[in-house]
Amino acid sequence: MQPKLKSKVRCTDREIGEVTRVIMDPLSQEVSHVVVSMNGSGERQVLMGAVHTITDDLVQLRSSSAEVTALPPFKREDYVTLHEVEIPGLERHVHVESGEVLVPLPELERNVKRRTFFANLTYVTGLFIGLPLVYPVLKFLMNPMYASLDNRWLMVGNVAKVKAEDVGTQFQYKRRVKEAYMPESEIEKNVWVVKATPAVLERVYQGKDLEFRDAAGKSIWTNKKDIPYLAFSGKCPHLGCGFKWRNHKVLGPVFLCPCHLSIYDASGKVLDGPAPRPLDMMPIQVSASGEVHIIDMEFKAGTKSQTRIV
Amino acid sequence: MSETPSAGTQISVAERVITFVDERVGLKQLTAKMLNESVPGGSRWAYVFGSILLFIFIMQAVTGVLLMFYYVPTADHAYASTQYIIHDIDYGWFLLSYHFWGSSAMVLCVFAHMSQVFLWGAYKKPRELIWLVGLGLFGLVMLFGFTGYLLPWDQRAFWATTVGVEIMDKVPLIGDFMARFLKGGPTPGQMTLSRFFVIHVMVLPAALIGLAGLHLFLFRCAGPAGPFRGTAMELKAKTDYFFPRQIWKDIVGMAVVFACISGLAFWEPVVLLDEATPDPGDYHPEPEWYFLFIFQHLRLRMFSGEFGQILGSIVFPGLLGLVLVFLPFFDRSPERNIFKRPIALIGWVVLTASILLFTVSAIINREFLD
Repeated sequence: MQPKLKSKVRCTDREIGEVTRVIMDPLSQEVSHVVVSMNGSGERQVLMGAVHTITDDLVQLRSSSAEVTALPPFKREDYVTLHEVEIPGLERHVHVESGEVLVPLPELERNVKRRTFFANLTYVTGLFIGLPLVYPVLKFLMNPMYASLDNRWLMVGNVAKVKAEDVGTQFQYKRRVKEAYMPESEIEKNVWVVKATPAVLERVYQGKDLEFRDAAGKSIWTNKKDIPYLAFSGKCPHLGCGFKWRNHKVLGPVFLCPCHLSIYDASGKVLDGPAPRPLDMMPIQVSASGEVHIIDMEFKAGTKSQTRIV
Repeated sequence: MSETPSAGTQISVAERVITFVDERVGLKQLTAKMLNESVPGGSRWAYVFGSILLFIFIMQAVTGVLLMFYYVPTADHAYASTQYIIHDIDYGWFLLSYHFWGSSAMVLCVFAHMSQVFLWGAYKKPRELIWLVGLGLFGLVMLFGFTGYLLPWDQRAFWATTVGVEIMDKVPLIGDFMARFLKGGPTPGQMTLSRFFVIHVMVLPAALIGLAGLHLFLFRCAGPAGPFRGTAMELKAKTDYFFPRQIWKDIVGMAVVFACISGLAFWEPVVLLDEATPDPGDYHPEPEWYFLFIFQHLRLRMFSGEFGQILGSIVFPGLLGLVLVFLPFFDRSPERNIFKRPIALIGWVVLTASILLFTVSAIINREFLD
């Protein structure tokens, strides 16, 4: 039991005053001292060790009144109150007031039945407000996520730019885009064109023409297996960076992606690095005058299979 | 008048204002309670990182709001408005560069703060909730870095986002949805910029303020853990309050961090690359330095192919995250001394060393690419 404030303090010989304050030990979170007002002659700080018994309104000490009086006066400035300090959990351990501290319950709050019902009603009302919003908000946020695919042919340059066989040549082109409310604008993209030798062509097509189909399965275009020009999407199938044509010390001239060092040969086959599939082929047409046309396609990176997203 | 106080008891206007407020909200008691937080074992330099993080966040918020006075989050003006801030607005280059380097400082201090808590064993009972909320804050800081990186709309911004979102795309089942949801379409564009902008300037700050408040509240409930050595009595003998010794150390730490960020902003101001476009040209895409180790480890052969990629970009980081989340629940021994927790010590050293190793090797790799 903790000593209560205002309790009388009695020594072995006589009563000497009352408890005015208690001092808590922040470590043990127990009362360590009581401060006793000496009936007008100052305050003394008495160790709990000197306390013999505690009852509701009396603190009985083991010492005599002369011993307590001989203690040095209590120094208030060495302490802060509980309200001015933050010691986790301490307040829960304090039971020094004489009795409970109460606040009256308002008239209307007495005998309220169905408290749980009202609490649940609050949740249900909240749900009525929130639930109808979920779908509209999701749709609101998701709106532009899926765009239809565009199968227009784009002119990207002249094949005269390709100087040698089995060498990657980059063609930069501009693509007009119109995004939602934005004014129509041009973005720069690139495609790699390879004039392939029959050996490389064989590795690419393996004797079969390459047919491109739209989502409904309708044929868009077929790259013929004997046309020597190949077009690779400029997007690395690993994680979507832009790769380059570089001379590798061991592997010779290759497509190299600087991001995660995927390496592909002129046929787009993965030679080294983390890429999960070969470079992505695109539909290509070369006109009699040498103009190169492609259908701009982008595929999801990082998967073994090809999924077109643009 | 007779009430006029004598010269000795003259009350200044400031004191009157304080008294006025104090009578209404209990200001003095509240201030005392805030400052008189006992620090077991006494104040230490090791404890400064939490306060420093709060300071950096406030500075990021201030510089961020200032930047928004001129920045326009549209695909056709983001780049131009950022260039305008850098080249035409007085001190625009400085505020932008401060904001840029501030994010790096934030990541470094988060790492220091988490390491300190980990090494001191301060995540253990009864402080598990502080640790969990702290992990949430760590995630927010990384998201801040990731979303903010796109806003200048230059090549660096565009490619870091392209690759970052592709990584998110690798999450099984919901990856495609998440990536499209974040981009607002199949490829990065205006919708992506709008989304990243609103996430960066509204969603994340609101979340961070909320979580940081909760973090502090939980910290105050449990109290500081104190050193891992020494008996309770020894610690009690050395205990002091948050004010003045710890606050003094904190403010010195903040000043040092401020000087470092300002110095970097001054001597290494932000320079934009070309405007964002899906053709990288000669640019070698690379994320911000604090993501370099993830970037580099995805180059490892063991993470090649579709499965390897899921392993490297989702499973591995996900497992590390899970270990951190469940750490206080399976590491239940009350022992906090790091020198008596060999697994924890080795784990920390290995993780830190491999982050350093991958970061450095990513930097060394740069020159082989040209």
